[in-house]
This record gives sequence, C-alpha cells and structure tokens, in this order.
Amino acid sequence: MASKEITTTVNKEDFIKNTYNDPTIEKVITKKDLNKMVWRSLLLQASFNYERMQGGGWTFGLIPGLKKIHKDEGDLSVALLDHMQFFNTHPFLVTFVQGIIIAMEENKEDRATIRGIKVALMGPLGGIGDAMFWLTLLPIAGGIGASLSSQGNVAGPIIFLIAFNIVHFGLRFFLMHYGYNTGTKAISSLKEGTKKISRAASIVGLAVVGALVASYVNFKLGLVIQAGEIPVNIQEGVIDQIMPKLLPLAYTFFCYWLLKKGKSPLTLIGMTVLIGLLGSLVGLF
Amino acid sequence: MFIQALLIGLWAGIAGIDQFNGLTHIHRPIVTGAVVGLILGDFTTGLIAGATLELVWAGMVPLAGAQPPNVVIGGIIGTAFAILSGQAPEVAVGIAVPFAVAGQALITLLFTAYSPIMHKMDTYAMEGNTKAIDRLNYMGPLFLFIFFFIISFLPIYFGAEQAAGIVGLLPAWLISGLGVAGGIMPAVGFAMLLKIMFKWSYAPFFAMGFVAAAYLNLPILAVAILAVAIAGYDYMSQGNTPKATPVVASGIDEEEDYSDGI
Repeated sequence: MASKEITTTVNKEDFIKNTYNDPTIEKVITKKDLNKMVWRSLLLQASFNYERMQGGGWTFGLIPGLKKIHKDEGDLSVALLDHMQFFNTHPFLVTFVQGIIIAMEENKEDRATIRGIKVALMGPLGGIGDAMFWLTLLPIAGGIGASLSSQGNVAGPIIFLIAFNIVHFGLRFFLMHYGYNTGTKAISSLKEGTKKISRAASIVGLAVVGALVASYVNFKLGLVIQAGEIPVNIQEGVIDQIMPKLLPLAYTFFCYWLLKKGKSPLTLIGMTVLIGLLGSLVGLF
Repeated sequence: MFIQALLIGLWAGIAGIDQFNGLTHIHRPIVTGAVVGLILGDFTTGLIAGATLELVWAGMVPLAGAQPPNVVIGGIIGTAFAILSGQAPEVAVGIAVPFAVAGQALITLLFTAYSPIMHKMDTYAMEGNTKAIDRLNYMGPLFLFIFFFIISFLPIYFGAEQAAGIVGLLPAWLISGLGVAGGIMPAVGFAMLLKIMFKWSYAPFFAMGFVAAAYLNLPILAVAILAVAIAGYDYMSQGNTPKATPVVASGIDEEEDYSDGI
C-alpha cells in the first residue's frame, strides 16, 4: 500500500504497516533531542480525552525524535499514527517510556514490537507513579508545607514547590536518558529473533490490555429491582456473580466488533455518550 | 471587586493548566491559597486557608485516572470565600467542595468533547503533518485556561448564592450521565488498540490479564510481571534457533494474518 494515498477511505488500521520503506539504521538522536522531548513531555495531557487519554500528547512528545529518525515521509506517517492510539501512563514517569521507545524507533524495530513494549510499559508505570508521587511525595511535601503555612509562614508554599519539583524534574530528565540508554543497550541483544521478541512483546501487551479493560473501564449498573419483597441490586447481585467486570469486557468487545464491521470510532463515542445520558435519565446507573 | 475577580480568574486559568500540563504543582491549595490571599490583600488568611484545603485534598488525588473533586477550583474558591466572608478556613471547605465537584463534572465533559479531536489528529498523522498535531495539542491548555477562568471569575464576581443557583440549574442526570459516559469511554480506546494488536493466538494471554485484574484484583504491575514470566517461558520453549531462520527485519507478519477472517 502506497503511503502517499491519503484519503479518508484508507482504513487507519491498514495504514499501519509493520515494516519500513527506509530500513537503514542510523544513530541520529542526541542528548539535546532527548532534553527537547523532556520539555515536550510536560504537555503529555494537553489533548487528554477519554477515548485515547494521553495518545495525542504522547505523540506530541515524540515528534522531534520521530522526525529525525524517519526521513521517509511514509515511515513518519505510520509511526505518528501508530503512536496516536490509546496511551496512558503516569505523567511524571512517561519520559522513561519515551526514552526506550525512541531508542527502538531509532533502531527501526518492527512496529508490532515497539507497540507491544509501549503498551506493556505504560500500565505498570502508572501504578508505580501513583504510589511514588500521589501517595508518597505529594503528601510528604504537602504536609511539610502545610504545617509551615498554617502558622502563617511564607516558607510553606515555597518549600513545598522546591521539594516537589527537585524530585519531579530530576526524575523527568534522568528517566529520559536512562530509558534511552537502556533501550539502546537492550536492543542490540534483542536484534536476533525479532519475530520471537515481537511475539513476547505482544503477549505482555495483550495481557496488560486485558488487565486495563478490567481496571480502567468503569461500567456499572446502579439498578435495584424488587424481586417480590427483596430488593435485588442488579450489579452486585446478578452481574458480579456471573463475572466481575463483565460489562466493561462485553462493551469493549462490542466496540471491537463494531470497528471490525467498519463503524467509525466517532460513532462509538456518540453511542457511548448517549448510553451514559439515557441510562442516567432512566436510572440505569 | 472586578479587578480582583479578574486576577483570580487569570490565576485560576494558569493553575488549571498546571493541573494537567507541566505539573509543577502551583495548582495545589497550599500555593493557590497564598496567591489568592495576595490578590485579596489578606496574605496570612490565604496561607492558612490554603494549608487547611491542602490537607483536605491530600487524599484526593487522581489514582488510576479517576478524577476527584477539582483541587484548583476547591483551593481557589475556598480561599477566596474564607477571606471575603471572614469565615474560618474550615467553613471554606464546605463552600469549596460543591464547586469542586461541579467543576470536575464539567471537566469530564471537556475531556469527552476532546475525543473527536483525536480523529483530526489521526488524519494529520497520516499526512505526516507534525505542525498541525502540535497546534491541536497546544489548543487543549487554552481551553483549560478559558474554562478555569470562567468558573472562578463568575462566582467571585457575582457572589456565592447566585453562582450556586446556576450550578443547581444543571439537571443531575446530565452531570451524572456525562460522568458515566466518561467512565465507559476508555472501552472505545481499548477496542481500537485491540483492532491493531489482537490476534486469536494471543487471546489466552488477554484472558489471563483480564482475570488477574477482574477476579484477583491484581495491580497492573503484577499482571505485567506475570505476563513477562509467561512470555519468557514461551520465548525459551520455542527452541533457541535464531540461526536457522535468518531474520530480515521485514515481512515477518504472515503467520498471523488468518485472524482477519474472524
């Protein structure tokens, strides 16, 4: 498929190929590029939305690197579209994934492997980041600052900001370079047996997506019906007994099926909003 | 009052951007409270109210993507009312929380409304138009700024009672329905990811990940470690014969194409 044929009729999923027009490997990423991508990582959530979450901002962050690596226009388009898909990780730890992925892009790994590693990394880092930042650093820095502030001490907000951001920015820059170096080192040993690596990455990726469907899709009914005298909570009493997270799983595969049928994602978004509003109007949730 | 409300609105806009982009945490009540105190000419009360609200919001953090009552709106409106009404900072909490909850519902709406933009981005990606992707990504913070400006300026300029009346006009089913839709929406994103990644030969691993999270409530990291272990076993049990198949980095996807028929 010629990558030049850009019409709306081209199926987005078919557009993403696994190979490159220009497979030559060249080391082009400098420390300066990595730092530039760290600054861009600050806008990871700028186009945040419920469909792809950080997908747009993630792609935005990679752009300087991708442009330098993929000199072939077709390759660049495929890489951009591939990264534009669902992405969500902890906003402070994202540079680690960025570093690894940019190293893999530079080495022109096949797209399925890059995608697999990306998806496999994003979920676990989300959990680690929550624990590190929201449950550790923020309460500590906030607690120290608040104890000073509550006595009317100006140092409260200042110490809070300094303590928080030394750790915050220190980690952002460190993780980008660390991720990139890890990526380049690991890749040279991965080079043989690309197919097997790709399979391994897909296994981890799909297992993580399975877990993400169960943890991120929030689809619960709040309906209570009267079975004779006894009120029955449909969610807890019936659905959860059949299978917990049955609705998220079923709805995800329903969307998957509709996509395969050729329905556009926009239709699915509209449908989802409608379900939320109508369901809430009739008291389903 | 107009100038002060304007300044608070501008500050709320900046803090609102920081909550999602930059994340230097100038959006936390401990900082926003002090700045609002400065704007309203009572720095000490601002500091103290900020500290109180900071501790209230200490546990309300965005875990696993779930959004708590909005911390920017809570911190700024709470502190402003504490200073303007002369009430104790603890009372400010009671005023701040309903606004923060309503604000979060509207942010849910904003994040839902931004979903279609992704398809514009897809088109630009296919055209290789990185400048246009950049532009769309810069637009998000702009919307956040406008949103936070309006939602902080109005209640402070017009006073709490009128603003609370407007919040009350939104029907409850509308706000909760948008929240529900926002909760379900990631399913669409996952379905698109599956359309690219899913092969029937990988279905068992998807099932494993799902069961581990849904039944065993394992965190994602635990699922990933399990999956790495399984993938490692799978990798080694395939026989270590990379030499037998000279690997060319292209055209290696044939074996999995049969999934398209299903």
